[in-house]
Amino acid sequence: AAEPWPENAALYQQLKEDQILLSDNASSLAVQAFLQMCNLPVQVVCRANAEYMSPSGKVPFIHVGNQVVSELGPIVQFVKAKGHSLSDGLDEVQKAEMKAYMELVNNMLLTAELYLQWCDDVTVEEITHPRYGSPYPWPLNRILSYQKQWEVRRKMKAIGWAGKTLEQVLEDVDQCCQALSQRLGTQPYFFNKQPTELDALVFGHLFTILTTQLITDELSEKVKNYSNLTAFCRRIEQQYFEGHDKDSSATGAARSAKRPL
Amino acid sequence: DVPVLVSEDIVISQPAKILSFLRKQKYNADYQLSAKQGADTLAYIALLEEKLLPALLHTFWVEAENYCSVTKPWFASRIPFPLSLYLPGKMSREALNRILLTRGGPPLYSLTEVEAQIYRDAKECLNLLSKRLGTSQFFFGDMPTTLDAYVFGFLAPIYKVCFPRVQLQEHLKQLSNLCRFCDDILTCYFRLTVSGHSPAGQDTADANLQKLTQLVNKESNLIEKMDDNLRKSPQHPPRKLSTLKLAAGGEESSPLNRLSP
Repeated sequence: AAEPWPENAALYQQLKEDQILLSDNASSLAVQAFLQMCNLPVQVVCRANAEYMSPSGKVPFIHVGNQVVSELGPIVQFVKAKGHSLSDGLDEVQKAEMKAYMELVNNMLLTAELYLQWCDDVTVEEITHPRYGSPYPWPLNRILSYQKQWEVRRKMKAIGWAGKTLEQVLEDVDQCCQALSQRLGTQPYFFNKQPTELDALVFGHLFTILTTQLITDELSEKVKNYSNLTAFCRRIEQQYFEGHDKDSSATGAARSAKRPL
Repeated sequence: DVPVLVSEDIVISQPAKILSFLRKQKYNADYQLSAKQGADTLAYIALLEEKLLPALLHTFWVEAENYCSVTKPWFASRIPFPLSLYLPGKMSREALNRILLTRGGPPLYSLTEVEAQIYRDAKECLNLLSKRLGTSQFFFGDMPTTLDAYVFGFLAPIYKVCFPRVQLQEHLKQLSNLCRFCDDILTCYFRLTVSGHSPAGQDTADANLQKLTQLVNKESNLIEKMDDNLRKSPQHPPRKLSTLKLAAGGEESSPLNRLSP
């Protein structure tokens, strides 16, 4: 029998208006979408130190009962152990495909978001540094954001993205969006009638890219080129986030106007 | 940075760029794929890079016994002195760095925990590939495509190189369709016989190969006679049995040749 999902389950992320960055917002929205699709209520709590509270150092994380789980992958496993799953109806080959596409999104979209916000000097100066450390006093805010920038740049160097130019990164984003668009085709969801964690992940990233104001619109233009992807985002937003309490919905503020990030 | 393609005056490194160059020269193995299959290719390549590559790097470069007894002498024997003293060590450090930066970090705090996780992921990835391949000869039917080349590139070293520590190889050997896939490509495109080299067996194999080569040559002569059609066709379709002769030097010194049973 499925274990009961407690009423007070909470999802932690950074401060929505001032602090959270593009990549973290995308990840958080993906988890929220997934939980909505499973019909599991969760309260979104914004804390400046969410990253440090998380067991893996990454946001978002959920606090359910007396367990704390972070990141979409482990959360999906955790929810499955509690008896809820979106991908049970898929056969083995479809499950393999779903996992492959989720890796594609992580490999290309998430890495591109991280590149843009930590390796593109203009974006770093004008958006990332001011936002990342905003809850903290000087000089802590600068120290924390330089530390994080150093960490991310090290990782980019290790996987070979440090040498890429912004144009190349945007081309990779375009390639990824093209693949997603071709896979989605005219279906409502990636695996036809029912949404899965892949739909949640893709929604999280694409919706955030579409509704976040950066230095230029180049990134969101790449996604807008594919009309079935924008329709997909709108469909999921309408189905799972409309009518939801504005305070606990990440899309609440985003829906009215393009939020400056 | 290897592999490197040198064509006339052009030097290109990195697999993605090399494939892109070949495509511009009208060599395209994905000519007959649908848009969705092209998207699947991208997704599965991302899966390989995220889930299988860390364990592959570990088996070759980080696992002490493997590195000291196989990888280091093998590479050092091909690198001129004095670089042979320095480069293998550098590659090993880079591999460890990459693994730790991409997969290390909380909640995995020690190298053994990271190793356990990456091998779990790699085995899961192999299982997914096996399920996706099923009973077909190649991943998209009867003709090999870019995805087959990528998968082969990742699997063949695991399958063939004789390491002292072989947990990944043992897991791969249990997936008979993946082993058959590797063997097929090795026999078709690398002209290595898989089973023992009995002289009689080798002779019949040679005779068969000669007959098939003559048949294919005849067919390609016929095709070449249709000049107009060839000029109009935008791509060279992939041929199943290749008449391309690999450079004899390259074949003999191929490490796969040397170390395979």
